[in-house]
Amino acid sequence: MSENVLELKNITMKFGGVTALNEVNLVVKKGEILALIGPNGAGKTTVFNVITGVYKPTSGDVVFQGESIVGIKRFKITKLGIARTFQNIRLFGESTALENVVTGADVHSKSGVVGAIFGTPRSRREEKANLARALELLDFMGIKKRAGQLGKNLPYGDQRRLEIARALATNPKLLLLDEPAAGFNPAEKVALAETIKKIRDAGYTVLLIEHDMSLIMGVSDRVAVLDFGTKIADGTTTEVQNDPRVIEAYLGAPADAS
Amino acid sequence: MANLKSSLNLRDKGAEYWERSPKWRRVALSIFFIAICYALPFLNNPLINTPGSDFQSVLFYPVGMYVLMAIGLNIVVGKSGLLDLGYVAFFAIGAYTMAILGTKTALNFWEILPIGVGLAMLSGVLLGTPTLRLRGDYLAIVTLGFGEIVRIFAVNTDSIGGSRGIAGIPTPPDFFNAKFTILDPKPYYWLLLTFTLLIIWMVRRMAARRPGRAWDAIRQDDDVAQLMGINTRKYKVWAFVLGAAVAGVGGVVYASQILSIVPDQFNLNISILILACVVFGGIGNVWGVILGAVLLAFTPERIRFLSQPRILVFGIALVVMMNLRPDGILPKKKREHFDPDWHTVEESGEGEIK
Repeated sequence: MSENVLELKNITMKFGGVTALNEVNLVVKKGEILALIGPNGAGKTTVFNVITGVYKPTSGDVVFQGESIVGIKRFKITKLGIARTFQNIRLFGESTALENVVTGADVHSKSGVVGAIFGTPRSRREEKANLARALELLDFMGIKKRAGQLGKNLPYGDQRRLEIARALATNPKLLLLDEPAAGFNPAEKVALAETIKKIRDAGYTVLLIEHDMSLIMGVSDRVAVLDFGTKIADGTTTEVQNDPRVIEAYLGAPADAS
Repeated sequence: MANLKSSLNLRDKGAEYWERSPKWRRVALSIFFIAICYALPFLNNPLINTPGSDFQSVLFYPVGMYVLMAIGLNIVVGKSGLLDLGYVAFFAIGAYTMAILGTKTALNFWEILPIGVGLAMLSGVLLGTPTLRLRGDYLAIVTLGFGEIVRIFAVNTDSIGGSRGIAGIPTPPDFFNAKFTILDPKPYYWLLLTFTLLIIWMVRRMAARRPGRAWDAIRQDDDVAQLMGINTRKYKVWAFVLGAAVAGVGGVVYASQILSIVPDQFNLNISILILACVVFGGIGNVWGVILGAVLLAFTPERIRFLSQPRILVFGIALVVMMNLRPDGILPKKKREHFDPDWHTVEESGEGEIK
């Protein structure tokens, strides 16, 4: 039925003697919100780093829209259509919020240094279009009034929203969100869940790392669970909630009857 | 106290005045300042005269030349955050191109200029492509080495004069009424000033557009810049190449004025001094960099009457200055816009002039 945007095939990632990911298989389907959960240190962010080309997997293959993207340069992977946010917010703090987003929107521009120096029509056109797109996205994320402020001076929540806007600006086929609700209060989490659903409904596919169970159960179409670098469950929210291995991973193994 | 300080912040006041000015006033101000720059050689003010050396010559070298090179180095160090300690190499390549082609072929200054700039850019590509994967200190060491290699190569190559250098470099042909002769540095100064204004204009255009944003991103976080789809390698090499081109222009003009060059003119001191201009003036801010270059080039000439201790005095002044204003005299500061209706990058103070 629905096509697969991303497939991880037997991904193993070793750092020296430590196996961060062990034979992980994962499929992200077009137009869905897939949540990737697991205890601390389970390897969730490592999955993101493998997908975006930060790490080259020790073995296995990452297939994006039918083509392997292992070993492709990071900026090309972004151009192909994968964008991400970061667990520890990594904005361009000395640039304004608007500039942050325009930087993302620049990805698909054709004009570069020469176009800028001579102010070619294409350069002007692209500048204008990217600016408009960035403003639209700031508005979408509800932080348009912050456009002129420096990234580092934004309130914490707006920084997280700005990261999502910057990632969306690259017009990704797959959006990776790394703990977007970290540090949010319950009301903000509800609002964020709505935003993530809106993003999906706008046609994006979302892979989400999150710890907050109520948020996950509220937004995700499917859930995959990692524990010590191994995928232990994958399915709908109800399936995963009732999976004994998941319960064990989160709550510990039941004590033997004695 | 804070209030007093902010009311005394002339930079922000000035920038605010500029931003609030209508277009006609900006044009008028620009023309006014440019006119002053062109008229500088005719000023005979005891405050800015340089006893012990000819004021008009000082305007060309070191003042004008330092300003030009500092603007070029600012693209590399200030905009994209790459520490280049061998910037003098590109200056030397421009100067040697002028010297060799000027003495051995019939080409004139205007024909050699693009060749000199082209060769400087090419050497920027050749140096930049393999080395720009290095970061921070490592890049600094490699560029430092490159600067020395070019000088030592010139010293040891007899076909380009070895340590004796090259003499008899032709002057540029007359340009309308301006005659380029050894006796009159004014036309050279005007030529250099024209190039400098042109380069400032180009740099500001780039800074407000995609390359400027890419450099900002690279300087702030190289990894995230890559993950946001910026070909960081490409933009770093571009920064290097553009910086090299500016130094190449400087080198060609310099050689045609000084008429004879020796390798030892292109030593490490120049690289360090130009870098000092950038840091002293305010890294990343083109107006700060210009001010820094003017002060650093002019002060040692102005206090030449102190003879021997003047470099010491100059050094002390530098140390005191950097302690008082560690970010430079005119640091780069993006003023924030709290106005929700503000929404053009062009108006952020980095837009076009003229």
